[in-house]
Amino acid sequence: MQALTRYISPGWLLVAPFFLLVVAFYLGPLVNILWLSLTDPEPGLGNYRMLTESDALARILWTTLRICAITTVFSVVIGYCLAYAMVHAHQKSQNWMLTLLLISFWISVLVRTFAWLMLLGHNGVVNSGMEAIGLIDRPVRFMRNELGVLIGMVHYMIPYAVLPLMANMQTLDPRVMAASRNLGANGVQTFRRIYLPLTIPGIVASSLLVFILSLGFYVTPAILGGGRVLMVAEYISVQLLVTLRWGTAAMLGTLMLIGVLALLWIMSRFMRLTTVFGGGATR
Amino acid sequence: MQDKQFMKETLLDGARAYRAGRMDRRTFLALCGAAGVATNAVLAGDAQAAADHIVMWNWGGISEECHGNAIGVPFTEKTGMGMRFDTSGPLEGKIREMVDSGNVTADVADGDLFNAVSLGPTGHLEAIDYDIVSKERTLPQYALEYGVSVILYGYAFVYDTEAYGDNPPQNWADFFDTEKFPGTRSLYKWANGSLEAALMADGVPGDQLYPLDMERALAKIQSIKDDSIYWGSGSEVHSMVVSGEASMAIIWQNRGKNIEEDTEGRYKLVNNQAMAMPGAYIVPKGNPAGREAAMQFIATAQEVPSQLAILECLGMTPSNPEAFSQIPEHQQAYAITSAQNIDKIVFNDPVWWGENSSEAVNAFLDAIS
Repeated sequence: MQALTRYISPGWLLVAPFFLLVVAFYLGPLVNILWLSLTDPEPGLGNYRMLTESDALARILWTTLRICAITTVFSVVIGYCLAYAMVHAHQKSQNWMLTLLLISFWISVLVRTFAWLMLLGHNGVVNSGMEAIGLIDRPVRFMRNELGVLIGMVHYMIPYAVLPLMANMQTLDPRVMAASRNLGANGVQTFRRIYLPLTIPGIVASSLLVFILSLGFYVTPAILGGGRVLMVAEYISVQLLVTLRWGTAAMLGTLMLIGVLALLWIMSRFMRLTTVFGGGATR
Repeated sequence: MQDKQFMKETLLDGARAYRAGRMDRRTFLALCGAAGVATNAVLAGDAQAAADHIVMWNWGGISEECHGNAIGVPFTEKTGMGMRFDTSGPLEGKIREMVDSGNVTADVADGDLFNAVSLGPTGHLEAIDYDIVSKERTLPQYALEYGVSVILYGYAFVYDTEAYGDNPPQNWADFFDTEKFPGTRSLYKWANGSLEAALMADGVPGDQLYPLDMERALAKIQSIKDDSIYWGSGSEVHSMVVSGEASMAIIWQNRGKNIEEDTEGRYKLVNNQAMAMPGAYIVPKGNPAGREAAMQFIATAQEVPSQLAILECLGMTPSNPEAFSQIPEHQQAYAITSAQNIDKIVFNDPVWWGENSSEAVNAFLDAIS
């Protein structure tokens, strides 16, 4: 026992039950998915070979990556502006803005998706309004295409982009910016050379968060894409429920998991992840 | 999980044996004790209840009420067994998962006959017992080893009378002709029905569709891709049509009837060249109420009064030929096996779909996305 406590901190004993629980209920199923991707329908790397052989899969992955990347760029740019405005607003209006942001954050994805159909759909408020004042002859197609998916996803993701950025901006010392102005830099220079570099951890954190969450989007593309925008999550669900190709589904699931982990690993080469996720904010 | 399932089965067998008088009360109670079931729960009938009702796995909505009244009531009269519902929708993957996990909680799944072709040989379904279920009370090509068609639903199309009022589209060729009939189409995104419609539009006779020429069908579907959107559920296509997003849509014929009624005739259903799809009640392997009870249930659903009640309530057409001539006047235009429609429709081949649906769905998704 003595020897044991020398090498293993007794604190682990306290953690051990929960640790084992997590291993059993979290890692277990993950290993099962990995196993399925290597054994169904037949043992081997057949499912992974499909990645190079099937144009369809390559196209679905490309669509997914493209949509996620565009979503990330727009969400983070808009989120940056919002966060900037919120951090520098008066306390009272900041509270208001935060409340509005959180309300939108808490509304279910399904409701928000259908709300866009109501607004921008064929007979939606925007189209009928523009027709009524004579701006257009026939309804503009905002929805049931890639544009619709992007609008829905960016809207859903903005709160996720704002929150890490805000946390980052709030920790900045305003005296640094004051010093820059004092030394003769104008507003644009101060922003570009001082403020922006200081908020890079926030930008990275929100980009990562938005990108990773976007990868798993299912409801929004399925409804707003009108069946023409097929992303990985929907494809996985079809393989599980309709075509019964569980091996393909498991392979794609594994691929997404590895992709996300790889992304985090690459980031960790450039910066400490604790900084990105707020741990280093006070340092 | 396995142990629990084993105990449950033992207990159910015990309950049946006890009821049938093959097991004395003391033994049965001891069995319950061993299984960890409180005696008072058993006396209240809980354990027996499990063997005393049938669980139908369907798609929810009004079908719960309809199946209950049309099949559940006569089934209870005949067998004394009750009926309950699981409305989560028996997709093929869910049936397979349920059987594989060893925790089968449904007796009869409201599925497609092609599910029976793909899930039967892999051991996920109970075979149909044709001593109880009648082969005569369905169409001859739809009495298969692991499934029997109990109703027919159909893929037809609706069109907007305001857009094409003077010269309405009449068949699939018109549906795929975007020059003569400009406007957005909506097609079913899981391939079924859309492929056959495309082939008929391209000139393949309705009785020579199978095996489907996938390349030809997909080329036809891609030819109107710029004017197409795709739906995944009945409510989705309903809203696409009613909101004016689509001027024509491939649709389930009973949904088409609802749309006609909702829009007071602005959208009209065309049943010419409609494809009859065999809907089947299939039985997951090891169903809790036992195979015989499930077969009794299917046999009840085949009877003419049940068939006509389902038509009235859900708009699903009878598959029992005895019922064809009894389809009431106001359903003639909508029921696909009515005297008015039966010569104009084509029949789906569940065997082709059961064997090829994975490839077909994936190829279709690839073509439209």
